[in-house]
Amino acid sequence: MTTWIVVGIVVLIGLWLIMTYNGLVGGRTQTQTAWSQIDVQLKRRHDLIPNLVQVVKDAMGYEQETLTKVVQARNNAVAASGPAQAGPAEAALSVATRGLMGLVESYPQLKANDNVKALQEELVSTENKIAFARQFYNDSVGSYNTRRQTFPAVLAAASLGFGPAELFAMPDSEKEVPKVALR
Amino acid sequence: MAGTANFVEAQAANRRSTMLLLALLTAIAAGFGYLIGWALQNETTDTFQVVSPLGLGLAAIMATASVGWSLISLAFGARMVLSMADATPVTKEQAPQFFNVAEEMSIAAGVPMPRLFVMDTDALNAFATGTSTHNAAIVATRGLLATLNRDELQGVIGHEMGHIANLDTRYMTIVGVTVGLIALVADMILRTLQWGSFNRDSDKKGNSGGGILIVVLIVVAIFAPLAAKAVQLAVSRQREYLADATSVQFTRNPQGLISALTKLDAAAKPFPGVSNATQHLFIVNPVQKITALTSALMATHPETADRIARLRNLGG
Repeated sequence: MTTWIVVGIVVLIGLWLIMTYNGLVGGRTQTQTAWSQIDVQLKRRHDLIPNLVQVVKDAMGYEQETLTKVVQARNNAVAASGPAQAGPAEAALSVATRGLMGLVESYPQLKANDNVKALQEELVSTENKIAFARQFYNDSVGSYNTRRQTFPAVLAAASLGFGPAELFAMPDSEKEVPKVALR
Repeated sequence: MAGTANFVEAQAANRRSTMLLLALLTAIAAGFGYLIGWALQNETTDTFQVVSPLGLGLAAIMATASVGWSLISLAFGARMVLSMADATPVTKEQAPQFFNVAEEMSIAAGVPMPRLFVMDTDALNAFATGTSTHNAAIVATRGLLATLNRDELQGVIGHEMGHIANLDTRYMTIVGVTVGLIALVADMILRTLQWGSFNRDSDKKGNSGGGILIVVLIVVAIFAPLAAKAVQLAVSRQREYLADATSVQFTRNPQGLISALTKLDAAAKPFPGVSNATQHLFIVNPVQKITALTSALMATHPETADRIARLRNLGG
């Protein structure tokens, strides 16, 4: 009788460990997938910006200060490695990109250009995707971290090798209104 | 943080309700089958029995039918709806902005990118279908893509992505099957009794216990389908509110959806590819004109003004 009770308890603990483990794996995988989504979109933005700059340059006939700023911010962002460096660099690039959008909006000959329009749509979409991917990533990190810190999972999380996940912060230079130099 | 938690919870709640509903549906179907068999058997024999072999047999048949019907609806529902709507698939080259906005919303929802379709009409509407996040599709009308600005389109696509992420289509499919089956069985009961009443006089007389039972059965057969339909519509309206809220969780911009709903409501009209069978799918009902009065009981959607009022509460 006692043997069976012991066996029962061991089986229950085993089942609980399996469920906790699977739950944590699910949460961690979601944060990793979400991070790779951000990465994909950041790369996409780095690829799009030179195209848009080139098209704008061609349409205007000269290189403007806003353009050099965007190119510089883009190169800084490409060079940044790891979330800690990437955060501020990408935030600065967001500001510079909005400056470029403002420039396009204020020049009728740019706004009417089909190539510019198509690239602008792509860039707006990529900006949104970065924002949404970040939102989803941070939400996933939040619920994963909550899960591994709540009782009873907290008893097993660390010994099963589940460390905390890091939030992706883009410092709030985003609220700053970009200045558009009209030559 | 509240963002994901809410629709992940809605998803879990819908999964639970779907299972519960499936069980309930099977139980109702089996119960009805048993009731019919039992009533028939007591009509034809003189001894009053509680356990009826005929009833058990019919119960088993009905239970199998309801499970089978549900599985078939889940497997083929999306394909049928898409062909009924006469929707054509589109690529990124054909509709870049539609594609981009849908991709943005799928990222915000953390679900795979759904297939995209366009209905060739100048009406403004959209719907989503698919019984899991992996086989989902979003359909928009050509008019919608041409008329709405980017923020409004994002609100509408966010609403549809909300239906997908919340697993509403799966849930509503099962609800639809439940209601259909109840209506079918009620119809069967009424027909059976009609047929039975012709030869009752000659067969036997004075079975008053059976007479009361028949009356109860008739009342149930008449009111059960109506009640089931009312429940289905109430659930449908709740899902619309929830999808609106989920859209705002994705876009963080209630204003886009508010302005889109205003335009869609003003332009709502029936168009080819819409029928009574599919009207409940669309973001704004294209067939029924919904007022405060109808939305209290028999409408597929809440009144648009009420949806907008709730969105304003979310900070629009």
